[in-house]
Amino acid sequence: MMFSSLSSKNSLFPYRLSPPFQAGDEPPETRCRYLPVRSAPPLAPSCSCVAARVLGRPSLASPRRAGRSSPMAPHGFGGLVTRSEGLRVGRKQRVVRFMEGVSLWMAMLLVLFVQPLYAEANTGNEDSAGVLHFVDGKGQWQEPALVLGSDFDVRVSGLIADSKLVRTFKNTSDDWREGVFVFPLPEKASVYGLTMKIGERTIVGEVQPRAEAKKTYETARDAGRHAATVEQQRPNVFTTRVANIPPGAEVSVELSYQQLVSYQDGVFELSVPTTLTPRYMPGEPLAVAPQQWQGGWALPTTEVLDADAISPFTVDVDDVAADSHRASVRFTIDAGLALANVSSPSHPVVAQQDGQVFTVEPQVGEIVMNRDFVLRWQAFAGQEPGAAVFHQRWDGEDYLLAMVVPGRAGKTRLPRELTFVIDTSGSMAGESIRQAREALHLGLDTLAPGDRFNVIQFNSQPHALFMQPEMATANNLARARQYVSGLSADGGTEMASALTMALQSQRAVGRMVAVSSESDLAPKVRQVVFMTDGAVGNESALFDQIRRQLGDQRLFTVAIGSAPNMHFMREAARWGRGSYTSVQDPTDISGPLAKLFAAMEAPVLTDIKVSWQGQSASALEDSFPRRSGDLFQGEPLLQVVRGVSPAGELSVSGRLPGGGVWQQRLDLQQAAPGSGLNRYWAREKIDSLLDEARVQAQEPQKSKITELAVEHNLMSPYTSFVAVDKTPARAPESALLKDNLPTLLPEGSQSGMVRYPQTATFAPLLIALGLLGLMFSAAITLLQRRAYP
Amino acid sequence: MNRSLLLLITSSSMLLLFGLWVPVKAVVAQELLEIAWAESQARQTESRPWPWADTWPVAKLSMPELGSSMIVLAGVHGESLAFGPGQMMGGGGQQEAVVIAGHRDTHFRPLKQLELGNELRLQSRDGLWKEYRVQTTRVVDSRTELIDTHKLPAGTLLLVTCYPFDSMDAGGPLRYVVEARAEGAARVVDVESLESDHNQVLYSQAILDEIDTVAGL
Repeated sequence: MMFSSLSSKNSLFPYRLSPPFQAGDEPPETRCRYLPVRSAPPLAPSCSCVAARVLGRPSLASPRRAGRSSPMAPHGFGGLVTRSEGLRVGRKQRVVRFMEGVSLWMAMLLVLFVQPLYAEANTGNEDSAGVLHFVDGKGQWQEPALVLGSDFDVRVSGLIADSKLVRTFKNTSDDWREGVFVFPLPEKASVYGLTMKIGERTIVGEVQPRAEAKKTYETARDAGRHAATVEQQRPNVFTTRVANIPPGAEVSVELSYQQLVSYQDGVFELSVPTTLTPRYMPGEPLAVAPQQWQGGWALPTTEVLDADAISPFTVDVDDVAADSHRASVRFTIDAGLALANVSSPSHPVVAQQDGQVFTVEPQVGEIVMNRDFVLRWQAFAGQEPGAAVFHQRWDGEDYLLAMVVPGRAGKTRLPRELTFVIDTSGSMAGESIRQAREALHLGLDTLAPGDRFNVIQFNSQPHALFMQPEMATANNLARARQYVSGLSADGGTEMASALTMALQSQRAVGRMVAVSSESDLAPKVRQVVFMTDGAVGNESALFDQIRRQLGDQRLFTVAIGSAPNMHFMREAARWGRGSYTSVQDPTDISGPLAKLFAAMEAPVLTDIKVSWQGQSASALEDSFPRRSGDLFQGEPLLQVVRGVSPAGELSVSGRLPGGGVWQQRLDLQQAAPGSGLNRYWAREKIDSLLDEARVQAQEPQKSKITELAVEHNLMSPYTSFVAVDKTPARAPESALLKDNLPTLLPEGSQSGMVRYPQTATFAPLLIALGLLGLMFSAAITLLQRRAYP
Repeated sequence: MNRSLLLLITSSSMLLLFGLWVPVKAVVAQELLEIAWAESQARQTESRPWPWADTWPVAKLSMPELGSSMIVLAGVHGESLAFGPGQMMGGGGQQEAVVIAGHRDTHFRPLKQLELGNELRLQSRDGLWKEYRVQTTRVVDSRTELIDTHKLPAGTLLLVTCYPFDSMDAGGPLRYVVEARAEGAARVVDVESLESDHNQVLYSQAILDEIDTVAGL
């Protein structure tokens, strides 16, 4: 310890001081008088040295005081005796004694007061691994040293949106920094490029198997070279690391990714997620040693082994620098057809038209990265495309992307059994739960007499309104409305038990109903509507569960909040053979929900078969999705294929609920040139390999996926991007500090993470300093009086 | 020399006074808060202890084993903590987790002596006392740990103060956290079941009446 050497040096003083007093060659009477004094000096310095030891200021108190008292005391001692005279001396002595007494008591007080501080010296400096550097040593919030800027440049061409995302890390500190940022991307994004820019230089990154990329990056980082890497944690959550950002300098990382534009009911939609809703990690925390790449608020649990990697700290906008976490966004839309309008439900935008091309930017310039940016565009009424074909030749292979929108079939409404599941976990607190309640009220409105329904809410535990689905009578509906209005959000997100309750109870009850009442024998369509923000870490296990428990039911998901986990929505609906929607505009919840509920009521196309006329069987092998899911009204069928030249035709057939057959043919010769189709195909193929593994409950074919990803220069669960500079920039002697950049709390949501408050006052310090000062002055007064009576 | 000595004495006394002012304020404020608490219980509204106060009493915390009790204020900003421990969250629902933080130098000094199994009682504005038992005490590092309010089980009471108790450093990173679990958690359920039992009792009495009449025939 720092203080131990000091204290041993100081503690020498009393022993050095005491001999002059004990040397007894003074006149006897003065010796007697001075007996009480004798004890005082040795005690006082020893006290002040206790204080000094604790306060860490030895130079202030003990040596000066000790240095002054040791030569003076023997000196004044002699003088005092020779000049002393009668009463005057007696009074003086009393004052002196009184003062000595006071200082003695004060010293005692101080000793008692500061004594327990020894313990503290041992508990300090516990700076272990995994400490978050935006909270400083005092436990005070500290802004990250890195200022993060983002720039999205999205170019839409036909059905593919190609984005360049530039992340700028500006180092505002005097140290070298490593920046770590966990961020979301669209759920079906294919990341295909990484470029690092330092000043004028540009370094192009390459795809490497994940472990290899990590090693490359770490080696470069430790060698002081500029390096950047991006790895995939979830299909829509990524981590970027940038090593050796020089003090005061800026390093930018450009990420290229593409995504498919979603098209439903004649509306094209594209969303750019900017932040993550803090996720709930079910399971027991694992007691693992802090890992090297750790940096989240959550510890790995038995069910989410990488919880620390997908849980960046979430902070308020006010907690980051004023120019940090802002994004400039620019969309260039060339839809290939005349557009009636372009709008955004999430942000006010300005659109400029130049022929068929639209340029869209947010009205305010830079947007705060605390909610998804959503853009919609639409063709003129009556001119909505019903089909589209795109063709690309890449690396000697033909790639085709075809889209077919089934026409509207007549309505044949069947009685339904509808279960609403609403997420009332803590992450839904704030605006989200309000939206969810409203959405649920809208859902209850769609129930018709003859339908059965139930409402299940869940947080740490699920709770159902009715024991079993009840008839949609006015009375039951009123009860449900009251129940829904009283819902508030708090607690965990234990989705598995809620899913079980929703999917299993229906089945059991369905059987019971079939047996008990004969009038109810008419087939019921069983549907589950799941309203959530998807803020969970164990998505994969939940998809498994949905697949196992689904039976003949259908699961629909409704994404709630400013930054929902769209990967969860999409996949849960896919495994649940339903569809999904998201509430993007808090002022217009009914719009997207009306479409979903309409789709749920309309008949579904099943048994969809796709055939590429006049093509070999191998082409069918390379056509994705391998087995198309059911189609709801307004949903397009998308098919991507490799090795099919733009000739012949695509024929699609399906079965209508009444037993009728629906068929459509598409002439492939009219294909428009497209770009990025190979990446879309590769991503679809990787996804299909992962699906196969899930269905067969096996490990995915890692080597095959890696090979495919490297061939198409793609990011995947097993491949990462890494860019490394050749020459070292940081000298080995200067340290590199790590900065885990937080993400912003989604707008309208309440933070579930609370910082521990400051719970101590300066009172003890003030009292100690005051006592010390008083004691010190008392001692000086005492000595002065003794020296110059 | 004398002048500088005088200066030293005055400044030291000032420091001492300022230092002593904090505990004095804490003690005096609690007396005023008692009155405000009685008033807010009587009127069932937020009542401010003095007109310019930006906080108000929300609960009364008592530690029977240590013989200490104090009024808990709303919020944990510096202004409220100077007068009493502050409620960070909770207090809404019957079973909601409650987090209370207090200064280790003043109100929450007794936390040091709390032992496992000790009783804690919390009175809400409606006058109901809720009993808790201390389950664990631990020291956390506020640099690495946040309170995940969503993960707190229902019926939890967290008392937070700075650690170590005798430290001079007011900005230290360590916190002492006492976690207590409601005894009422089980009791509330009991009340519900009691009520249903009660109904059953009434019901069975009706049956008994019938039987009685039958038996009486």
